[in-house]
Amino acid sequence: MDVVVRAFLAFCFVLLLTRLIGRRELSSLEPFDLVLLIVVGDLVQQGVTQNDLSFTGLLIAVGMFGVLTLTTSYLGFRFRRFRPLLEPEPLILVEDGKVIEKNLKKERLTAEEIAGEARLQQIPSLDKVQWAVLESGAGSASFPSPAPRLRTLCRSI
Amino acid sequence: MRHTFFAALSLFIVVALLNVFGQRPKTTLAAGSSADLRVFAPTSLRGGLYYEGRLTVEAKNEIKKATFVLDSGWTEQTQINTIEPSPVGEASRNGKLTLDYGHIGAGHKLVVYLQFQVNPTNVGRRSQNVALYDDMSLLATANRTVTVFP
Repeated sequence: MDVVVRAFLAFCFVLLLTRLIGRRELSSLEPFDLVLLIVVGDLVQQGVTQNDLSFTGLLIAVGMFGVLTLTTSYLGFRFRRFRPLLEPEPLILVEDGKVIEKNLKKERLTAEEIAGEARLQQIPSLDKVQWAVLESGAGSASFPSPAPRLRTLCRSI
Repeated sequence: MRHTFFAALSLFIVVALLNVFGQRPKTTLAAGSSADLRVFAPTSLRGGLYYEGRLTVEAKNEIKKATFVLDSGWTEQTQINTIEPSPVGEASRNGKLTLDYGHIGAGHKLVVYLQFQVNPTNVGRRSQNVALYDDMSLLATANRTVTVFP
């Protein structure tokens, strides 16, 4: 019983933590972010299974995480109001060549980083970008074509 | 196939929530004419877990030499971290661990805390009976078993 309860609490906490950290860190994986993810994984394991060395404990903990992952994805699919809790909405970073500072600040991004990402996607200047959207979940920025009619040009960070 | 797997997994989690795989403790009461013996310990465990066994004796009459005799389920493939209070004597009676606690006056209570850790290789079902003797005279026996999951 105790492993189930601890796994549930750990899942909720990690979900909250990843939502609060935001997309920038999760997508860019700077060295410190990588260290953070590894350390979080190790500490979560200690907190959930503690000194349990059994195979049964492994099945309970991993099974609980699997069931919770499935449940949250089903809730997001079935009930629209759950979606913002589970994953962030897409965020417009550039509109008609203009950087939206408010949204950049929200995700702790700089205009230089956006410009750099645009160059990686063969877009020389943000002036030519009609929309740059930070997508939910995968943390990708997509740069649709600067042409008046949108053409598909979506590449991930 | 996927739905069946997740249904089985959910059922497994529910069974775990119901403490089938440990480690909520239960009380086993053995009432005797001279003393009552209560054993408070988990009946299901998993490898590596720490757990406590609590033996409580409530003496109705005077016990001159209170002695617990523990079945092998308490000691086999199990680390005994500590026993508090320490017994005045330890021995083996027909292969079972005995703990001597001396005199208990009528109406008095003795509580013994035993702290254990399960060895990861300890798997199966074992007897964890506890017998309370006054020297060689049996006063009460608490019958219980413990199941250690792999």
